[in-house]
Amino acid sequence: MNEHPHSLASGEHLLEVRDLVVEFAVRERSGVKGAKVQAVSGLSFDISPGETLGVVGETGCGKSTMARAVMQAARPKSGEVIFEGQDLTKLSNKDLQDVRKHLQIIFQDPFSSVDPRWRVKNIIEEPLIIHGAGNPEEREKRVTELLDLVGLDINIHGNRRPRELSGGQCQRVAIARALALSPRLMVCDEAVSSLDVSIQAQILNLLIRLRQELGLSYLFIAHDLAVVKYLSDRVAVMYLGRFCEIGPAELLYLQPLHPYTTALLDAIPNTGGHPSKHHEELGIEAPSPINPPSGCRYRTRCPRAQERCALEEPQMRFLAPGHGVACHFPNNSNTSEPRD
Amino acid sequence: MSDQLSSRTTDSTAAVNPVQVDLAGDRTSSGAPSPTLLEVRDLRVNFHLQRSIVPAVQGMTFSVNAGQTIGIIGESGSGKSVTARAIMGLLPKKTAEVLGSVRFEGKELLDLSDREMRQHRGKNIVLVFQDPMRSLNPTMRIGTQIAEALHSHQKITRADAHKRVVELLQMVRIPSAEQRFHEYPHQLSGGMRQRVMIAMALSCGPKVMIADEPTTALDVTTQAQIMELLRELQRELNMAVVLISHDMGLAAMYTDEVAVMYAGRVVEQATTKRLFKHVRMPYTRALLDSIPSLDHPSLEPLSVIKGRPPDLSALPPGCPFSPRCHFAQHKCEESPILETTEDGDRFACWFPL
Amino acid sequence: MALSRYPTVLPPMLAERVSNFRQTAQWRRSLDIWVPAGILILLVLACFFGPFIFGLPGPNAGSLLDARLPLFSAGHIFGTDAIGNDLLSRALYGGQISIEVGLGSMLIGFVVGGSLGVIGGYRGGILDIVIMRLLDMFLAFPSIILAFVVATFLGANEINVIFAISFFTVPAFARLARATTLQLRERGFVIATRLLGARERDVLIRHVVPNVIPSLMTYGLLTVAIAMFIEAALSFLGLGIPAPQPSWGSTIASGQQYLSNAPAIVLVPSVFLFTAVASLNSLGNALRTRIESQ
Repeated sequence: MNEHPHSLASGEHLLEVRDLVVEFAVRERSGVKGAKVQAVSGLSFDISPGETLGVVGETGCGKSTMARAVMQAARPKSGEVIFEGQDLTKLSNKDLQDVRKHLQIIFQDPFSSVDPRWRVKNIIEEPLIIHGAGNPEEREKRVTELLDLVGLDINIHGNRRPRELSGGQCQRVAIARALALSPRLMVCDEAVSSLDVSIQAQILNLLIRLRQELGLSYLFIAHDLAVVKYLSDRVAVMYLGRFCEIGPAELLYLQPLHPYTTALLDAIPNTGGHPSKHHEELGIEAPSPINPPSGCRYRTRCPRAQERCALEEPQMRFLAPGHGVACHFPNNSNTSEPRD
Repeated sequence: MSDQLSSRTTDSTAAVNPVQVDLAGDRTSSGAPSPTLLEVRDLRVNFHLQRSIVPAVQGMTFSVNAGQTIGIIGESGSGKSVTARAIMGLLPKKTAEVLGSVRFEGKELLDLSDREMRQHRGKNIVLVFQDPMRSLNPTMRIGTQIAEALHSHQKITRADAHKRVVELLQMVRIPSAEQRFHEYPHQLSGGMRQRVMIAMALSCGPKVMIADEPTTALDVTTQAQIMELLRELQRELNMAVVLISHDMGLAAMYTDEVAVMYAGRVVEQATTKRLFKHVRMPYTRALLDSIPSLDHPSLEPLSVIKGRPPDLSALPPGCPFSPRCHFAQHKCEESPILETTEDGDRFACWFPL
Repeated sequence: MALSRYPTVLPPMLAERVSNFRQTAQWRRSLDIWVPAGILILLVLACFFGPFIFGLPGPNAGSLLDARLPLFSAGHIFGTDAIGNDLLSRALYGGQISIEVGLGSMLIGFVVGGSLGVIGGYRGGILDIVIMRLLDMFLAFPSIILAFVVATFLGANEINVIFAISFFTVPAFARLARATTLQLRERGFVIATRLLGARERDVLIRHVVPNVIPSLMTYGLLTVAIAMFIEAALSFLGLGIPAPQPSWGSTIASGQQYLSNAPAIVLVPSVFLFTAVASLNSLGNALRTRIESQ
């Protein structure tokens, strides 16, 4: 047993998630109550100190639910979430308070993640007060530091209310607040999706700089592939509650192994002007997690689906070091279509 | 359907009408004549607020013919949504002052009363919004809502309306249209709801469709499907489309002409092919560069546009982009004039790239 | 603050249309708040200070010699009632009662009802169910009947009337507070504060309550109007403030029989009551529109 449970032995992961399952009760279309939906069905992944794991998926794939489950904002049905050596799922709410110092989250809509009646400097100071860190002067100093870190100025922005800020500025405030207690892992749940393109770039650069200066790790969740790839060391592609592919960012994009990854990549509008080839195969309606297809969940939209796919759910297999895919007939990496 | 009107995107050197408006008011066109359905000239919108006047749109000029698409691209505060609402006559009368001219089939729309405008709205000119969940009535079945749109513009029996609605649902490729008729919006996915919105918009056979960020709230795969659907429908119905977006990629793929807006002004306007071949305005270039593309190496800082989108009530003198422009010089304190090249492209910059 | 100017150089206008836009003057936009607010302020001042300022006779100081004097009589600008009391004086003193009752029951509702609603709404579960069912019981009665019953039970005086009306205001505020709390509970910043490690108590006090109070406040104005009205009804029925203390309701009641020959006895307090209730309603609505549009 470690004497200091919060320090990691070298080589250990910062976050280990094993077989995470999150369920909630749903009323079905026909009005039947009590049906259970598995938004997340057995996810496993690791994040090492200083690493960024990107998670990509479309609406309904369960990525936001996963983020909340990791944070224990919604308790998972089963599975382990081991952060800095402790299994968070087994901790009481009270014990979690201490852990929360090191594990923070940024939400998609910056304006609803801060109290609209509070001033910026109070918003950032709040975590310090909650955890009893320092006296008022020390706190003020820290707030100034944090604002500076995210590119704001306490004299200009400190007294403002959120509605007097732009989307980008407000997101910076949310980031500053999350950094107040020196977290080690930041979960970014669509943190840049609601920002303008030019501001998005600024915030992404900020996140990169913070990572370098503070040694942060990120769990970066988004639906925009290019953004995720840009920020991440490794990327996982999620579909209906499971990962279908996971691997190093560059490799995933150059040589995707799973047909869903290929479809996602092709659907991105690009300035070259070539329309997507695969959109028709994807079908009109995304299957819902209430009644997932048997076997491989992607098979109803997959151009290569065969009998086996309906019978047996593919498990994640690592075809190359660090590059895994859950598919019975993955893209042949030798003959994968050239990307243009 | 004439081929000249139906070929798009991949082949821009085909005989497409170059969209040109001579400022004196004459229209020049080459190729087969096709009616200019919507002509916007020098549209200006000023919002009179409690303590200031906000010039939301300053001098927007474009025209669209049947079967063509113009993209209006900009970020928040650029004035693109205000332009759409001004064309549709949806701005609040008490605070919005609308100047300039908007002509549909030659008829001036800005002079019409609300009642007269209602004849056009929903019938000849339609607006498709960004977030279908907000624009669909959650307590009404979708079939009924679409039928309502039909009933408000024409005398039609319920049975005929029902048939037409099912036809429309099929036109937007919604499977099992008969069953879907009876469903409520919350039972559909985001992409399906947007299709319902489009079906509603098409119900009276409009000639002009304004799509305000139609796919922004959708996943990337659904976006591709919806955009392809719009393209097909445009071809089938020979509609003129105004596509409003912040996504340059969409503009590249689905428009014939692009107008880039910044702080209420058009800063660059050209046919799509030419724009992407030769970007003139530093803002357009910066916008393209700040989007992480798949080819961009990871973790290398994006070239950012420094600063923030402009505050329309306190614009600096001269070019509104100058505070953020890498190439700004003294002359930029003077408002650049919108110049027109021989091809009909326009840009407003003293030092084009 | 000066109007911001247009950018210095505008490209010349090209289209021929001339706009006929007329901007609504700024001061007119706030009329909907200041007119009713002004009326209410005047009313309060008149009721509490008017008798001294105008040197009016007491509300029960009349003599039979001056009975039923019409409007604009000497020394009694609104006339007198059946036993010679000055009607203006009775109206103003009666107003004091009405205002006290209105404010009192509103405040009790605000504090007690508001707290119950927030706690129940945030905690949910059994606590919420118990609180709401209890309060629902009271809300199920028409407010006047409820006040009626309580007042009969407790006896009629000002304090008891306030208490009786509170049986209506507490559940009403609780319901509103609970609904607002339920919405707030899911808002990002409430979740975010929890995830920062805050205790439930901190979240409630720092974030939930300050955001619930504004909607309660506008409702509060409307509640004052309702409370005043209920008090008037109670007094009218003889269950409220006992004679000889004047109250708008009881003065109206006793003046009924003189409606044909001395209508002022009924009309004067009625006009006061109407003005108060109408102003409260208008102000409440205007404020609510303001807050919602922000």
